[in-house]
Amino acid sequence: MTHPASGAGAPPAVPLPASGTPDADPASLTFDWKRGEVALAAAILFALGGAAYALHGHGLPAQALSVLFGAAFGLILQRARFCFFCMFRDWFDARDPRGLYGLLTALATGIAGYTLVFGAWLPDAATGRLPPDAFIGPVGPVLIAAGLAFGAGMAISGSCVSAHLYRLGEGSPTAPFALAGTLIGFVLGFSAWNPLYLAAVADAPVVWLPQRLGYAGALLAALALLAALAAGLARTARSPAPAPAAPRPALAAVLTERWPAWIGGAAIGVLGTAAYFRVAPLGVTAEIGARARQLGQALDRIPARLEGLDTLRGCVSVARDALVSNNGAFVLALVAAAFAAALAAGQFRPQWPDGSQIARGLAGGVLLGWGAMTGLGCTVGTLLSGIMAGALSGWVFAAAIFAGAAITLPIGRALRLLPAPAH
Amino acid sequence: MSFKSIAASLGLAALGALALAGIATADTGGPLVTGEWLEKNLANPKVRIVEVSVEPGLYERGHIPGAQNIVWTTDLVDRLERDIAKPENFQALVKRLGINDDSTVVLYGDNNNWFAAWGAWVFDVYGVKNVKLLDGGRKKWEAEKRPLDSKVAALQPGNLTISAPNTRLRARLADVLEASRNNSAVIVDIRSPDEFSGKVFAPPGSQELSVRAGHVPGAVNVPWSKAVAEDGSFKSRDELKKLYADAGIDGSKPIITYCRIGERSSHTWFLLTKILGYDVKNYDGSWTEYGNAVGVPVVNTAGTVWGVK
Repeated sequence: MTHPASGAGAPPAVPLPASGTPDADPASLTFDWKRGEVALAAAILFALGGAAYALHGHGLPAQALSVLFGAAFGLILQRARFCFFCMFRDWFDARDPRGLYGLLTALATGIAGYTLVFGAWLPDAATGRLPPDAFIGPVGPVLIAAGLAFGAGMAISGSCVSAHLYRLGEGSPTAPFALAGTLIGFVLGFSAWNPLYLAAVADAPVVWLPQRLGYAGALLAALALLAALAAGLARTARSPAPAPAAPRPALAAVLTERWPAWIGGAAIGVLGTAAYFRVAPLGVTAEIGARARQLGQALDRIPARLEGLDTLRGCVSVARDALVSNNGAFVLALVAAAFAAALAAGQFRPQWPDGSQIARGLAGGVLLGWGAMTGLGCTVGTLLSGIMAGALSGWVFAAAIFAGAAITLPIGRALRLLPAPAH
Repeated sequence: MSFKSIAASLGLAALGALALAGIATADTGGPLVTGEWLEKNLANPKVRIVEVSVEPGLYERGHIPGAQNIVWTTDLVDRLERDIAKPENFQALVKRLGINDDSTVVLYGDNNNWFAAWGAWVFDVYGVKNVKLLDGGRKKWEAEKRPLDSKVAALQPGNLTISAPNTRLRARLADVLEASRNNSAVIVDIRSPDEFSGKVFAPPGSQELSVRAGHVPGAVNVPWSKAVAEDGSFKSRDELKKLYADAGIDGSKPIITYCRIGERSSHTWFLLTKILGYDVKNYDGSWTEYGNAVGVPVVNTAGTVWGVK
């Protein structure tokens, strides 16, 4: 069985023109349009724009922007296949660091962008105040446990929450079960939250690096660490198989081929900064968490009062009463735009799930949900937006999730529960 | 002199004239300023604009150009005692906000100016003169499509010296009990009718609750929202006068306002004091103190005691 996630990095199924010559101008080559799909994709994107316009007209500018940011995020995730687990697995299995370079690029771009915003909002980082809404969480054993669980959940289900969301738009057979599992995991996380909070979260330090190092110090330290990580990856890299040199139409590079991960990463860094500046940091689990909380409370599985949760900064805050919250609009637009991008690329391939996909989706999803609730966010909120914001919690969570994946993957493969590496 | 620099100096002169015109009218007379007046006075050095909002990130993502920020949970309250900021901290705040002896301070915020009004009460307690509210607050400013800015303006520290706290503006639990027993002041409960009757302990979503629901014996219920128009601005002086007169509040007796914690009641305190000119004390602490106090009478017409009917 081939898992759709393992297609990351594989050459796309684009019919290349037969008469390719080495120095042909790609722009002059004809693009083999899948007219129906591209038209439908354009209609979806147009509808998203229309929805944003209508929301803005109804006095909901934050929701309108959330739709646009969500759509942009969905497009980038799908086109660049920006999947935290696939990036890690490409390197872990084949020592191909390109995906992880994309992640490092996203972080570097975002850290620079956040620093610019912070400088305007909180000119002095050392006043003891934290920037509003940024994902800066408590650092302690609970965060590490949450990261390990989340990493294991990625390895078992084949990707993280954001990637399951964009894969939902590709018709993935695993994603629906992984997201259902995530919801269950959130309910379990909430039901176990109060004792964990009192034992180990309430007193855990909340470390905002600019407060300790200043903006310049924190920025330089983070960029130096990212550069060191990139250098480390470069040392371990095996030279990847040379890409086919055949020229292809410019449109194919945008619409059907995988965007280079670093381009996707840079775009996500810019998008993260813009989203933080205008609405809220990028994050995909606030709405899932809010729905899980409603569900769990309706089922009497979650205590009515969750200690400290409404005051902690993270993706897991309480839902507002609005029909569609900002984050809900963001996530729906993400899935719709990913669907449009997949359609235009010919990558919308719905499949019936088999038993193993259902089992791995649900089991991995539960771990993802528990980890995202307990870690106050996922790879997008706590890791990406957290590191961009200069939060120590982001770095610790990143280390823990990749460690969790690195432990789970070989064990799962040895037990023949997880698919073997694709060669 | 190039055309550009001539144009620039003309522009500067025009700006200066505008600012002077603003200074001439910096005292608007009333306790409220309109968005139109404030927009004309954005560059007026005598006007200090301060945002007091509840939602985090609102000020940072866009505030009235030149406005400074007050975070009420740390700037206006004491961290040790349950009390408003201590004089030394409030003095430091006023200095940081660049407020001078001759400044006109304009406060505004989200949530219908609730916390801005509470801020205005704290400013008044410390004797800061010329404190006004932007009528309609953030909501109306935005609805009128007036400009916002995300930069924090650098300021010279202010030179205003605050006064000792004015206790006449503030009701304590003992004052409320005294007024309730002897009918020596009108007590205005500005919460919703359901909170007043005791059907609910607090508005939905409030974490801080009381053990008893209901109201202070003798209190009159005039929900704060009755005093505002659709766009969030205060109703006219005559309408307000009638609204409260119909509830038996005409200024002939001292007044005490209270709500759940004391910030929504500042909204009513502000209009009764500043617009109608009555003698009003605000009860900071309000129902979260009274409803939890032992040995005080609570009128509960809904029959909810300990949350059980």
